[in-house]
Amino acid sequence: MSLADKLAGKKVLVTGVTGFVGEALLHRMIGELPDTTVVAIIRPKGSLTGTARMAQMLKKDIFKPFYGEGTPYADADALTAARVEVVEGDLSDVPALPRDLDIVVHCAGDVSFDPPIHEAFTTNVLGTKSLLERIVETERPVHYVHISTAYTAGRRRGAIPEAPVDHNVDWRTEAEAGMAMKARIEEASRSAAMLTKFRKESEKLHRRAGHLTAAADTERRRTEWVAKKLVETGTERARSLGWTDCYTFTKALGERVVEEFAAKLPTSIVRPAIIESAVQSPHPGWIEGFKMAEPLILAYGRGELPEFPASPDSVVEIIPVDHVVGAICAVMATEPELNKPEYYHVSSGARNPLTFEQLYAGVRAYFSKHPFDLGERGAVRLPVWKFPGGDSVESMLRYGEKAHKIADQIITHVPRSERTRKYARELDVQKRRLDFLRRYMDLYAEYAQAELQFIDDNVLALHNALEGDDREKFWCDTSIVDWQHYLQEVHCPSVTDSLRRLDVVRKKRNKALAESAGVLKKVTPSDDAEIIAAFDMDGTLLSSNVIETYLWMRLPELDSHQRVGEIGAMLRKLPKLISAERKDRGTFLRTIYRRYEGADLEELNRIVDEVLAEHVLERLSGAAVRRIREHKAAGHRTILITGAVRPLTRPLEPLFDEIVAAELAVDDRGRCTGFLTGPPLVGESRAAWIKHRARGTNIDLSKSYAYADSHSDLPMLTTVGNPVAVSPDVSLFRAARAARWQIVDWKTPATSSRLEIPGVNAR
Amino acid sequence: MSRPGFVLEVDDRTPPLLVHNGEGFKLERFPLGTRVIYPPESLPAVRDVEEAIQNALLNPLESEPLPELLYAGMRLTIAFDDISIPLPPMQKPDIRQRIIEAVLTMAADAGVDDVELISANALHRRLTPNELRDIVGERVFRSFYPDGKLYNFDAEDRDNLSHLGQTRHGEDVEISKRAAESDLLVYVNVNLVAMDGGHKSTSIGLASYKSLKHHHNSHTMIHSRSFMDHKASKMHESAWRMGEVLTQHVKVFQIETSLNNDIFGGPLQFLQKREWEWSIKDQASFLATKRALDIAPAKLRHKIFTETKSHYGLTGINAGKIEPVHDKTLEMVHRQHLVEVQGQSDVAIMGVPFVGPYNVNSVMNPILAACMGLGYYFNSYRGNPVVRKDGAVILYHPVDYEFSQLHHPSYVDFFEEVLSESTDPATIEAKFEKQYAEDPWYIHLYRTSNAYHGVHPFYMWYWISHALDHCGDIVWVGANRKTVERMGFRSASTLQDALEMVSHSVGRSPSITYLHNPPHLLADVR
Repeated sequence: MSLADKLAGKKVLVTGVTGFVGEALLHRMIGELPDTTVVAIIRPKGSLTGTARMAQMLKKDIFKPFYGEGTPYADADALTAARVEVVEGDLSDVPALPRDLDIVVHCAGDVSFDPPIHEAFTTNVLGTKSLLERIVETERPVHYVHISTAYTAGRRRGAIPEAPVDHNVDWRTEAEAGMAMKARIEEASRSAAMLTKFRKESEKLHRRAGHLTAAADTERRRTEWVAKKLVETGTERARSLGWTDCYTFTKALGERVVEEFAAKLPTSIVRPAIIESAVQSPHPGWIEGFKMAEPLILAYGRGELPEFPASPDSVVEIIPVDHVVGAICAVMATEPELNKPEYYHVSSGARNPLTFEQLYAGVRAYFSKHPFDLGERGAVRLPVWKFPGGDSVESMLRYGEKAHKIADQIITHVPRSERTRKYARELDVQKRRLDFLRRYMDLYAEYAQAELQFIDDNVLALHNALEGDDREKFWCDTSIVDWQHYLQEVHCPSVTDSLRRLDVVRKKRNKALAESAGVLKKVTPSDDAEIIAAFDMDGTLLSSNVIETYLWMRLPELDSHQRVGEIGAMLRKLPKLISAERKDRGTFLRTIYRRYEGADLEELNRIVDEVLAEHVLERLSGAAVRRIREHKAAGHRTILITGAVRPLTRPLEPLFDEIVAAELAVDDRGRCTGFLTGPPLVGESRAAWIKHRARGTNIDLSKSYAYADSHSDLPMLTTVGNPVAVSPDVSLFRAARAARWQIVDWKTPATSSRLEIPGVNAR
Repeated sequence: MSRPGFVLEVDDRTPPLLVHNGEGFKLERFPLGTRVIYPPESLPAVRDVEEAIQNALLNPLESEPLPELLYAGMRLTIAFDDISIPLPPMQKPDIRQRIIEAVLTMAADAGVDDVELISANALHRRLTPNELRDIVGERVFRSFYPDGKLYNFDAEDRDNLSHLGQTRHGEDVEISKRAAESDLLVYVNVNLVAMDGGHKSTSIGLASYKSLKHHHNSHTMIHSRSFMDHKASKMHESAWRMGEVLTQHVKVFQIETSLNNDIFGGPLQFLQKREWEWSIKDQASFLATKRALDIAPAKLRHKIFTETKSHYGLTGINAGKIEPVHDKTLEMVHRQHLVEVQGQSDVAIMGVPFVGPYNVNSVMNPILAACMGLGYYFNSYRGNPVVRKDGAVILYHPVDYEFSQLHHPSYVDFFEEVLSESTDPATIEAKFEKQYAEDPWYIHLYRTSNAYHGVHPFYMWYWISHALDHCGDIVWVGANRKTVERMGFRSASTLQDALEMVSHSVGRSPSITYLHNPPHLLADVR
């Protein structure tokens, strides 16, 4: 009797039908089991109902042969109506099930290896339990087919039989403890000590930008920490009990739940190993999304995986998805007894092992023949793996991480320049690769060094029991797979295909980006709203800084003796000032401006007009002036927002419609008191000022522009729709790149000299 | 007695010859048969300058002696050439200082107390107080500057301009109101090259944009062949017509001076010697200078050149009515500069030096370098251009992308916005000139800072229009490719490559002429 006959008239509930295995199973059941009805539990997503999602899924290419001309079904909807019954619902809260089910296949599960501990328990243990309870409610002898994983064996070694995993961990205690972790870690993250730590870390980076920016980053750090801790806790708990990670641990506990219910329901447990693309059905190489090996294969092909902590002789238990589906179908047709759950290892290692070294050789051979074309530099150089063992790869990585950290420290502290930005960018690429390596090594090292062998006698028996052409339709004997052919002709081409297409697009985009890099788009006038263009001064429009301009303003007034004294005093204070500047620009400015005490404001204005103007103008970047004037010509409102003192902005007055600068407070004789009339406009105050300026007017900030050079200007830049980072420091450079803002380099003319002090030694 | 200029023909005994190359020099071996034009050696200077000044003021040409023109209660204005001449700037005391002091002494004797001194900078940048002081001297500066009686001409100060009428060609004559309303305008000139002086002094130096645009435009400039020959220059013709109108309204007492070619002194003296006559000392100086310049950072190199000041000897001073004075002056200038050259050649080679009229105390930006080579040096001819029609010009200059944002703010915008659209002078004029000329920001900088007027880069470009029109190929040796390309020229790494590049139009063995200047020369091409 064929499987189709055995399963004819049966109603099969499939969970996780939208997943990789679920989809392949649905495809096989529609195609090869014509008289079997599929019931799918689908969670509504956004505005889509479960039914709509199913219809959407059936429009995928692999389902197209099932409807239309030459088939009994006119379209996807007709096919759905005839073959699939949709139950709207979610496994976190299993809905009541139809009362006429014959078989339940539970494919749904969290497939990530490092889920937060509470999520792993929710899906893999508690979710399974509620599903089983709902099945029991139907009061029918439903055949429950549980899809688990071969790696529930955890860190055990040697031959693993198709039998319950040998352990005595109580799943109830573990589930309770695991679920409680969420609240506990959340609570811990809110303790004063932790919050202080987060705040200090983020203030180091963002204090200059302002308290709110720092606060936002603090909160981000906290949630990130919680997520990381939840994952860590899961992994550590799993390892403390002999499992590789939280995934296999909770899957093993899930099996325990299933085993408990085996008294009420005939039960089969299918344990596939590492499921990869199809050999035959739906079509060779079919794969949905990226599974375990793909990121590594792709990274290797890109030359970014210099080594891997694998044992060359350890067996990689890869299994094509169609073999898994074939086995599941065959299992569905079996009739296990109550209290005697049957176990099935769908794996390859026992009879057709693929060692890590062979896998590496296959992938390498594939990429040698079909390298990635990543740009103008020809084919990528493929790393040669020596398999030095886990420890030495680990220390390589640790060394790399340390070196990166030091380099990053340096790069964020050296003066900015085009070169530092280039290094910063290279470091970021390095960082991305290191993070990738770190993540995958931590995740997969265990699997790549596993020394276990899954016995698959039960599956082989199923395969051998298949009759007639069922052997073709539901093949589940992996010994026939030619691994090198599979890797080089089926799997790798399929997984690299999308990336290759993406590379073509990316190449074009990068070329366009490279051509337009540093070139600002022309500004256009706006009819319906007023547009502002806000410019920072120091570092953006001209190369100068507050200390320097202070000296420019004060020195001409002093005689040569006093000048030496003043410069000396500034030099002595420099280290203190620099560290103040890194922490809080407002304090820094106040410290400098204190020194204006006693200066005659009128005299300062005169010095600027007569002596300093030419120095300010000489240092103006031509490109900056052109841009300001372009905005003016387009009818935009140009605003200079600076922490510099008002007199210094005098030479630039004709360029701007509005100038916001630090106002020196004066006494009744017109002498500066050394204080400002209000707080200096830095960091978040600038953003607040702009927002306030726009409120109640016709100003459209989303179409407006802002130009600034420093990380402290981040809030200002974020308030407008067209932010531009001008010769940015490394922190702003990174933020700008992440947000895809325009970055330009406005150079101060090389003709101006730093050492010339106006009115002192300059002509 | 100094030796006259001559034309050398390069043979196998000719040593490598000196070529000016921005802020540096090169020794270049020219192809055999290349003609090299050497200016006459420096003429002997007037021995007693004070006496010569007195003599000129007391015995003017077609005019009453100066003291007779001065009387108490009159308005006297002294205008003088600005920092753009002479080049390089003159060592102190400047000849203008000496003349102005003499004029002021006579004015004081006559009891004149309403005196103002104006730097005739037209649309050039304002001079800084220090620069004014260098020209007029400490004493004059102290007496006049603090009271605002010594100042730069402001061509955008509408209230202080005066429209004197139009020429018979309908050209507006609009000059400084103070000068126009003075009882006597004394113009103190330095006639460095044949282009300067005459009616160009007042009717250009003290004129506004409205007046200047009649001759500073692409059409006039293309027909000024050359600027160094005022009788063949449309620009000068226009200035002369304006001068006629001007002199009907204002009494002008013109004082013109001519200088000799004693430009480089001290260790740089080898620069004005003929290479085969270089002594061991000269050769050592050359080597030392070249090595030092090669390793010096750009800023230091710039400083060294900026601080170069020239001796200059006075070769003549004439005063009185403009035309006869200018004729006399030109006679002296020609004696110093004129070299007879037989026939044109296929290729002209020129080395552009570190300084031009518009980058004193500043940097020579690409546009100024082009103007210096193709405007001034190319036009250093009388009769016919040194190079034949559709021939090639090869220039030496690094043409770095370097602009002074202080002095040349409109230049950098002109380079970025205008030249990127077109390099054709007429197109540029029609499309962009008005916008730049009337731009309030440039006007603001011109009036209050030390910036050339917004329209000035256009004039530089018109200045080279004759060369652009005349030459088939223009190639720069050792120049920044990007900047040269933006201006519509090409760049070669070596002279050999440059000759290779132009060979499609002038052939494999073209006739070549190398203009060995500075010191200044004027090729009288027969």
